[in-house]
Amino acid sequence: MKKILIIEDNEQNLYLLTFILEKNGYSVSQARDGFSGIEQAKDKIPDLILLDIQLPGLDGYAVARELRKDQSLHAVPIVAVTSYAMTGDRERTLEAGCTGYIEKPIDPLTFMERIEKYL
Amino acid sequence: MPDVAYTADRDKKFSFHKVEVLSSWYQAYARRESGIRSILDLNGKKIIVLEKSVQQEAFNRFSRGFGLDINIVSVPDYKTMFEILSRGDADAGITNQFYGALHARKYGLADTAIVFEPSSLFFASKKDTHRYLLDAIDSHMTEIKNDPNSAYYQSLKKWTSEEVPFRIPSWLKIVVLASGIALTISFAGSFILKRQVNIRTRELKEINEAMEQRIVERTAELAEAMERAQDADRLKSAFLATMSHELRTPLNSIIGFTGIILQGLAGPLNNEQIKQLSMVQKSANHLLSLINDILDISKIEAGEIEIKSELFDMRAAVENSLRTVIPQVEKKGLALEAAIDSEVGMIKSDRRRIEQVLINLIGNAVKFTEHGTIRVECKIEKACLITKVSDTGSGIEAAEIDKLFLPFRQIDTGLARRHEGTGLGLSICKKLIEMLGGTISVKSEPGKGSVFTFRLPLQSKM
Repeated sequence: MKKILIIEDNEQNLYLLTFILEKNGYSVSQARDGFSGIEQAKDKIPDLILLDIQLPGLDGYAVARELRKDQSLHAVPIVAVTSYAMTGDRERTLEAGCTGYIEKPIDPLTFMERIEKYL
Repeated sequence: MPDVAYTADRDKKFSFHKVEVLSSWYQAYARRESGIRSILDLNGKKIIVLEKSVQQEAFNRFSRGFGLDINIVSVPDYKTMFEILSRGDADAGITNQFYGALHARKYGLADTAIVFEPSSLFFASKKDTHRYLLDAIDSHMTEIKNDPNSAYYQSLKKWTSEEVPFRIPSWLKIVVLASGIALTISFAGSFILKRQVNIRTRELKEINEAMEQRIVERTAELAEAMERAQDADRLKSAFLATMSHELRTPLNSIIGFTGIILQGLAGPLNNEQIKQLSMVQKSANHLLSLINDILDISKIEAGEIEIKSELFDMRAAVENSLRTVIPQVEKKGLALEAAIDSEVGMIKSDRRRIEQVLINLIGNAVKFTEHGTIRVECKIEKACLITKVSDTGSGIEAAEIDKLFLPFRQIDTGLARRHEGTGLGLSICKKLIEMLGGTISVKSEPGKGSVFTFRLPLQSKM
């Protein structure tokens, strides 16, 4: 069973993502802020990381940069999940080390298809 | 013997040298008040000539030629002649121009228009004597006549320049006195006037300074007000951008969960539940599009929109946009046509913004059309990508067309119910197309339909 780490502070979004992924047969671990996210990532070495960009304290860009510094996490795809139309979001997430980009609100019909592209 | 006028007769008695010393005309002089101006005025007058001179003969010939009766008196020299004339004992006298020019005014005489017979003046000696002397004179004459600064020309200048006596006429004294008084009065007047002008100037200057001060103050106030307004505008846009983001967070949840429930991931639903939940989903999506519009216009107005320049397939972008309206088109029973020229392929622009505009225009076309066809045409003309979205819908009244691209306007379509939407769509389209360097226009006929056209310059076609 593939492991996916979700770093997301919004409880409902966290639940929504977890629900979809678990229903689709993935093992999900949750982190509600950047620091615990980095810790868990290093500890569990997931198959994919879903990363919210607007996180309290350490934001998604900083988390991505921190994750990329770790050799063991080098090959792990990081998919940014962020709100539509933030200026330069897409480029900034890729620059920070993310592999891909999914806009909120997620469309449950296409969400899995998009995630599985990175696995 | 100097100053001898050459004549054939004299040549028999005297020897002349060859280079003439002077050439002179004879002229008649008379008292100023004599009234003698021309040769005809000399008729019956007493005229003085130089005794035994060439001019006497010449004048006799000259006056006879005009048939004049003249009493000629001769004197031994010019000085005596001018004295007689100034006393009024004769009417006119004949001298050479040099003498006359120099002395006439002294005797109260004036020159007349009577000028005749040029004569050449030479040095002369007794016939066939002093040949060497005459030859020497010739060689010297030649020499001094070639030098403009020679004593010859200097003395000639002295003789020919007029010495003008200065006499102040009495009328001039009166005029000067009168002008003096007038000047004094005018000085006094101008002094008073100047004082008044100075006072007025000072007053005007003060007024001017006050005005300038006020202009400076008003300008500063305006600049401040302008800055406040701009700040307020930026704040408003920033607020709307933040707000719409905040509004989206709960919407993400609503849309996400209705989505997964409708997918049946949480368990099976009955038909009624599916119908009702679909309504929630539809409203949520509509609310999302409204919020997105507000977010877009706020960002555009706050200058926060970034335009990308990426290579993408325009054909795919058009097809992608068309796909989004297929469900509504089918529901309304409309025809959907696409005519994309074979030339249209990869272009360099912002795909997301172009799709946003296309989806908006096609969405509007579907929204306002009840019967007929929605058609999208795409072609390349003169290095421009031209895209047309036409419909057979309600059309737009001419008066409404100007307002069409202004934000926060949704035209009254004459239908009982206003169409859904913020009315921001077209103003966003216009702004986005302009940001992409293009233009957007519309042609419409009420009841027949509308054609929206946007043109984008091609940065590089591949």
